[in-house]
Amino acid sequence: MIHADLLEGLEPHESERILALGKRTVLTSAAELFHLGDVAGCIYLVVRGRLRLTLPMRVRNQEENVLVEERSSGQTVGWSALIPPCRFTLTATAALETEVLALPSEALKSYLAAHPATGYAVSLNLSSVIGHRLQLFQAMWLREIQRMVELRCA
Amino acid sequence: MEMLLMGACLSIFGLAVACLAFGAATRESGEVAAAAPAMQKEAVKAAVAQRLPGPRFFVNPPARPVAAYSNVPIEALLLQIENHVRLEHAAAECFLESPNASLLHSRTISTLVN
Repeated sequence: MIHADLLEGLEPHESERILALGKRTVLTSAAELFHLGDVAGCIYLVVRGRLRLTLPMRVRNQEENVLVEERSSGQTVGWSALIPPCRFTLTATAALETEVLALPSEALKSYLAAHPATGYAVSLNLSSVIGHRLQLFQAMWLREIQRMVELRCA
Repeated sequence: MEMLLMGACLSIFGLAVACLAFGAATRESGEVAAAAPAMQKEAVKAAVAQRLPGPRFFVNPPARPVAAYSNVPIEALLLQIENHVRLEHAAAECFLESPNASLLHSRTISTLVN
């Protein structure tokens, strides 16, 4: 049984039904799960291991994938699959051997539409995952702006 | 006659003192007038120096990160960026647990910005 933030508060049998929609995949270290700009067809739950979420950055005239966030066991990755325009906005790579459960977005949407109470709970959990990311990066962004202001006014 | 000579001497002495005093007073005001632009320049320089960043408490200010990182190998720089992101992530998490201004602007130990 996977304990995932997306399934928080669901009855065990409800969680199991949702998990049954997915397919487990094992990624070797440094293997790419999805790439920035790809069509997002699946949302992923990390079963074990760790994923690095990166964005490209120009460092000394070279494009480098810079770490933005890390996701580990129990956390949801790739919620772009449920949010239009359904394209990944980051690249996900396994930091070490990592197992994920890939939930196809269409199958998940159909199931949640047929089970509104579960759909409501999952939607709240998804909002929480997205909201946390938003608040986190809002705080990080403001800290950078503060440093920039201090540098300019020094 | 003696009284007359004494009066004349005193008059001449008084006149000489008055001339010296007048000359000194005139020369002083002229010098001040001549020195005024120079003093203004000094005042402007001092004001500008106050606004410009300068040495503080006997130590030089830290060099700009851009200059400091120009010689660092790219792998080391990427590790520093990664470390910085992790630290900033942790700081933001702390802020979200207990949102307040001091936690939002807490200092970082990241070598990327220090």
